[in-house]
Amino acid sequence: MSWELHRVTIVGGGMMGRSLATKVAQEGINVYLKEVSTEAVESAQRELERSLDHSIERFALTGSEKKAILSRITWVTHFDCASDSDLALEAVQEDFGRKRQILRELDRRMPPEDPIVLTTSTLSITELAAQNNSPERIVGMHFLYPVTTTRVVEVVRGQLTTEEVYERAIEFARLLGKIPIKVFEMPGFVTTRVLLPLINEAIHIVMEGVAEAAEVDLALKMGFEFRIGPLEWADRTGLDRVLNWMNHIYHENGEPRFRPCPLLKRLVRAGLHGKKTGRGFFEYDENGRRTDRLPDDKPRLG
Amino acid sequence: MKILVLNSGSSSVKFQIIETDLERMNAHQDLTLAVGMVEKIGLSDSRLVLEVPDRKPFQDYREILEHRTAIEWVLRILADPENGILDSVEEIGAVGHRVVHGGEAFASSVLITPEVVDNIEACSVLAPLHNPPNLRGYHAAHAAMPDIPHIAVFDTAFHQTMPAHAFLYGIPFQLYKKHHLRKYGFHGTSHRFVTFRGCQILEWQREDKKLISVHLGNGCSLAAVDHAKSIDTSMGFTPLEGLIMGTRSGDMDPAIVPWLMAMEELTLHQVNTMLNKHSGLYGVSGVSSDMREIIEARFGGHERADVAFRMFCYRIKKYIAGYAAAMGGVDAVFFTGGIGQRSPEVREAALEGLEFMGIELDRDRNAAATGDEAEITTDASRVRVLAIPTNEEKTIARDVIRVLNGIMPEFTPPETIT
Repeated sequence: MSWELHRVTIVGGGMMGRSLATKVAQEGINVYLKEVSTEAVESAQRELERSLDHSIERFALTGSEKKAILSRITWVTHFDCASDSDLALEAVQEDFGRKRQILRELDRRMPPEDPIVLTTSTLSITELAAQNNSPERIVGMHFLYPVTTTRVVEVVRGQLTTEEVYERAIEFARLLGKIPIKVFEMPGFVTTRVLLPLINEAIHIVMEGVAEAAEVDLALKMGFEFRIGPLEWADRTGLDRVLNWMNHIYHENGEPRFRPCPLLKRLVRAGLHGKKTGRGFFEYDENGRRTDRLPDDKPRLG
Repeated sequence: MKILVLNSGSSSVKFQIIETDLERMNAHQDLTLAVGMVEKIGLSDSRLVLEVPDRKPFQDYREILEHRTAIEWVLRILADPENGILDSVEEIGAVGHRVVHGGEAFASSVLITPEVVDNIEACSVLAPLHNPPNLRGYHAAHAAMPDIPHIAVFDTAFHQTMPAHAFLYGIPFQLYKKHHLRKYGFHGTSHRFVTFRGCQILEWQREDKKLISVHLGNGCSLAAVDHAKSIDTSMGFTPLEGLIMGTRSGDMDPAIVPWLMAMEELTLHQVNTMLNKHSGLYGVSGVSSDMREIIEARFGGHERADVAFRMFCYRIKKYIAGYAAAMGGVDAVFFTGGIGQRSPEVREAALEGLEFMGIELDRDRNAAATGDEAEITTDASRVRVLAIPTNEEKTIARDVIRVLNGIMPEFTPPETIT
């Protein structure tokens, strides 16, 4: 490392923020994880504990590794921690106003040369950065969930991002053991832009009655060796979030191929948001396991 | 000569200063002057610990971001007028580096030259977690002490004498050719020390004897040492093969791996950590990876701790008898490593029933052997069994002397099959 990285601030203890904090802590770097209130901290702590325990059950972590991770994460409810951080990431929902507010809070407190990372996949980094005092130190990193296992991160150059800050983001990606994919700002970058229309098309197929949701997923999963089908992926991610992303991409470039399928809107309006509500395209038990798998949807040797 | 022995890991550097020469080696009178380590390299709260006999341990904290500053720190403290043990760093005559994997390129310890560095780098594909930090330690030490000899001592070298029928796996031969996929074995430095020291105690010539060395520590392995040469060992391509260990499975049906990956939808990472970190004593007992806690739980009536203990010892027994068969007999068995030196329970259970091949345990002697060198068989026992504390650092220091004096033992080059 040509620069020293001891402490990272992560704003937002949601699914993405926790996953990111876990990965950073795993690499031996101390993390401040910021949530809005003590209640939010407590609930996020419980969720983090649960997901670490799940990783242990799945043999991805050991008990002592879990302890080491937790010992590196300091939970906070204020932004002052940013002043002794070498890098900050925001990991809150895709909400322009909220992200802009967080950028201001971080910008005020962090030394001017330290990078601030936006983790958006659809919002404009250039636009968010431009409303800041030092837009040149703002860079995008689009992590894929779960951050602990996915191997790729899109590193996003905004119009005003300096070369130095961009290089630091690349170094940070490498430090986390990830392959940086260099992209220039454009809604959806590579991953989301290809994936969303795929999911959308799968939803259209269901809406048109061409095939059952379960069979659409099965065809793609078994046919192309996807680990999970696109509809289950959408369910696991949250249909509300998928719709939110699609709306952003659609509004940004106006092309009909990004228009969200009406069935997706209907499910979201009905409160069927996928795994987290127990039902989306498929049904899930309280542990988030799918309960309605087809008999053919199972692993096979040879 | 004062020798600095270095064992460089990814985030730590362990070191010792050992005073030795040919005379001291032969009299088993090498002196360990200091033992220490730097841990948490790469972080802001790196710690240096230095232990010198008859002194209070010395500790220091500072920010150490890479191996070079870690080694500089070690040298500064070693020569520190107040806390150190050297008048100046110049007193260090040579450096011995522990290197995990020497592949098929190294059958003995060597003076490190640029060509040797290239060869160690080429072996990194076989030990991606170990060889790179070993090399970082070498580069750092070489930068600080460019004018003295640096010697590499490999964990795998001692086992390079294994014949092809012992080191090949029963898989398509082209995979051996393409990936160097074969049994290498580990703990070589320990097996070599223990068989050497065992014969010294018994006043035997190692070159005349059939020996089995049983290293039971965090990792566990055995070696069959026939006429001073390792002819088989229980660890394999990686340290996962062979005995059941604290958290490693050891031998099992390889078909379990693809089956589990399919049925449990495990990723490569998950199945790898399952076998290396969630298995063994810990995975079976659910209690601990520490043999002392397993034994305690077992006496408390814990059923799975008991079965884990029995599995552990049963497999050692099978390997001992198997290696006796491989050598056509055995003259002595040497137990070493934390468990091997200190656990009478494990040794007794592992040797139980081996009277047929001439092992007669003396229960009192065994019970009394909890760390020091000790014979644990009866005077009438045909095969002699000893507990011997291992000392890999000492072996590395001795190898430095051997290499510098041009008296590395001659190794027959390993059998090559094309």
